[in-house]
Amino acid sequence: MGTNSYDVVVVGAALSGLCAAGAAAQRNRKVALVATGPGSFVNGPGWLRAQEILRASAAPELREAIAFYCELARLAGCPFAGDLSTARYLPTVLGDFQSVALAPLSLWKAEPRDGISTAIVGVRGLSIFDENFMAERLTERARMMSSGCTYTARQVPLSREMGVPVTTLRVAELFDRDHGFRAELIDALRTAASGFERILVPGMLGMNSSAAQIAEFQRELGCPMGEIPTLPPSIPGLRIFHRLESYLHQIGVELYRGFPVDKVVIHDGLCTGLRVASPGHPLHLRCESAVLATGRRTANPLGGEFAGCDQQMRPLTSTGSVIARNLFIAGPLPHTDGANHGNVLHILTGYRAGNLAASTRGNHAAR
Amino acid sequence: MRLDDLAMDNCLKCSLCNAVCPVLAVHPLYPGPKRLGPELERLRREGLSTDTEWVEYCLGCHRCDLVCPHQVNVSEMIARAKATHRKPLVRGLRDWWFARPGLLGKLTTILPALSNFALSMKPARFLMSKLMLIVPQRKFPSYTRPDLRAPVMTGKELERVVFFPGCFIRYNRPDLGRVVIDLLERNGLAAEVASTECCGVPAMANGDAAAARAAARANVKALAHHVDSGLRIVTACSSCGHMLKTGFSGVLQDDKEFAGAAQKIANNTFDLAELLMAQSDAGKLNIDFQNTNLRLAYHAPCHQRSQGIGRPWYHLLRLIPGVTVEDLDAGCCGMSGTYGFKQEKYTVSMEIGKELFSSIGAARPEMVATECATCQMQIEHGTTFKAIHPAEILLQAYDERCSG
Repeated sequence: MGTNSYDVVVVGAALSGLCAAGAAAQRNRKVALVATGPGSFVNGPGWLRAQEILRASAAPELREAIAFYCELARLAGCPFAGDLSTARYLPTVLGDFQSVALAPLSLWKAEPRDGISTAIVGVRGLSIFDENFMAERLTERARMMSSGCTYTARQVPLSREMGVPVTTLRVAELFDRDHGFRAELIDALRTAASGFERILVPGMLGMNSSAAQIAEFQRELGCPMGEIPTLPPSIPGLRIFHRLESYLHQIGVELYRGFPVDKVVIHDGLCTGLRVASPGHPLHLRCESAVLATGRRTANPLGGEFAGCDQQMRPLTSTGSVIARNLFIAGPLPHTDGANHGNVLHILTGYRAGNLAASTRGNHAAR
Repeated sequence: MRLDDLAMDNCLKCSLCNAVCPVLAVHPLYPGPKRLGPELERLRREGLSTDTEWVEYCLGCHRCDLVCPHQVNVSEMIARAKATHRKPLVRGLRDWWFARPGLLGKLTTILPALSNFALSMKPARFLMSKLMLIVPQRKFPSYTRPDLRAPVMTGKELERVVFFPGCFIRYNRPDLGRVVIDLLERNGLAAEVASTECCGVPAMANGDAAAARAAARANVKALAHHVDSGLRIVTACSSCGHMLKTGFSGVLQDDKEFAGAAQKIANNTFDLAELLMAQSDAGKLNIDFQNTNLRLAYHAPCHQRSQGIGRPWYHLLRLIPGVTVEDLDAGCCGMSGTYGFKQEKYTVSMEIGKELFSSIGAARPEMVATECATCQMQIEHGTTFKAIHPAEILLQAYDERCSG
């Protein structure tokens, strides 16, 4: 039977790894996801910048891949708004706007709107969120963009012991765990919101919360509301990771959390398994095919042999021969240019690699 | 340069460890693993005084280590700081005992009935809370005279393994030890019970480095010849398993005499379920289970997760026809061995457990399966559900027809 045998083993839990695992699982493959923590996308807002979409526009599967990702995120309870062809300006904590094509709903709702009086509501003692600075900067930036949106700073105190300094992490933890805290937060925000048509709050509405839970919070608040992501860790980014990871777990993806893959086992041009550096003795995962989505800055288990990949995303040696026919590379691993290719590259390559891996049978096919 | 010196520089302060820390989630003033681990470690290495009582609040659950994208050994740094922390006298005394469950077991099981009577008496519990700062709300596990049966040689060709029972099985639940031995035997493995001491996890958790080193040395002495003759070691307690796989080699890494043997023991230690899964992969797992109608919820103990072996119990239990298992994946139970018994940490312990308790409540299982004895205690303390070791369920499933 072989418990540690899988159709597809994916290494890395950045958006590329999560998409690859999701794509393979949706095609009814038995999938394992091995990761040491989430990818670095959790340090950012988790939105897809218009510029990244433009850069990837030559890829034939772009539309399909983004549609797949949006559906995956929707199923996981963190739906995205927007599409490939439009761009909206979403505010950042530095009081600027970024041009964004798609974003989680709660961030999307922070877009500037003409003639809508908007309060930026900070929390007393909260680090890395200065509502006065943001309101001033954003009003000025909106004016330069000929938008009639104006911003006013407000601050709410919270009665509980919040730690010094207060972090969005702490607020998000309480939001997730404590019903009483949510009620208190609603009361405080409602007072701050009076006289405004909309409020924007720091990205802090739960690390695990679903869009439905945030919508319920907003309904009780009785005022349109958007989130502005803070850094790091960015609560909206972490939320996407937690929701996607638990959705994958729910649809049967086996999660191996905590230890890196230190060896890819290759026989006669086929990857037969991966070795996980668990304590004591390694854990061997056998596979029909595998996706390496380990990222550029973390250890690459293929080592010096790896020198890029071919059109089918298979890893190549420096002489151009395929290292393993059933091994696929996703994420920024093959890109040595140092540029930040962002979330779109992850989604695109993850989706492609997941599909390629799902339709590839390794040397156990005769099983 | 040692690996952990590099690990400190690998910390990019991303705060993911803080995002998963169970203590930080319930205690607003706890500085969190990032600060207590790599940040203060820099100052500690420089010999600066950074002693803080907060290091005592680390559960040792290793969730920070597991989530770190750069494999920084956060909790190990905190454990080392714990070992140099100076405690007030009474707490120091209490923790001296808590660090030595083996000694406690040896003494109480001289006259188990008397010990159990004394430990369950209200006035005694009241006195313990006043004099020893041990919460009166918690029940102590009852002690039994050690009675671990030697393997029964049935004449079948069995592969020999060494069973490391640990204190809980040895002094509180030798019957569970016999279940483990029986289970192994039905799967082609003859278990010999190792004459070992406490694994040393309680000593590490209570900041007693000397006791941890003594325990590790004694155990390495007792186990080395077994692994030298090619036997595998099996543990049924996740904390013992964690210690054998990581702790002995960690505690003894600078010990010329023992470091090599400790590493060899780590390489050859298997969790019971991990070993059964290995038997399964070799086609030797006995799957002659009887139909057992049972709805289970499974809680993976932190020290099971920190072994990086996947979810072998979850998959084994699902092999039994008629059994449904829900993997709770609801975080740490908050007990962390002796932590939950400490008066000043009781509230934190129970607050951490809330998420698990409510997820058990929502799953409404007939019982909870979890292999850690103190997780079981915490679940039974915080909910109305019974919690047992999955080995008992598995063994019973072989016999279900006879008994039912």
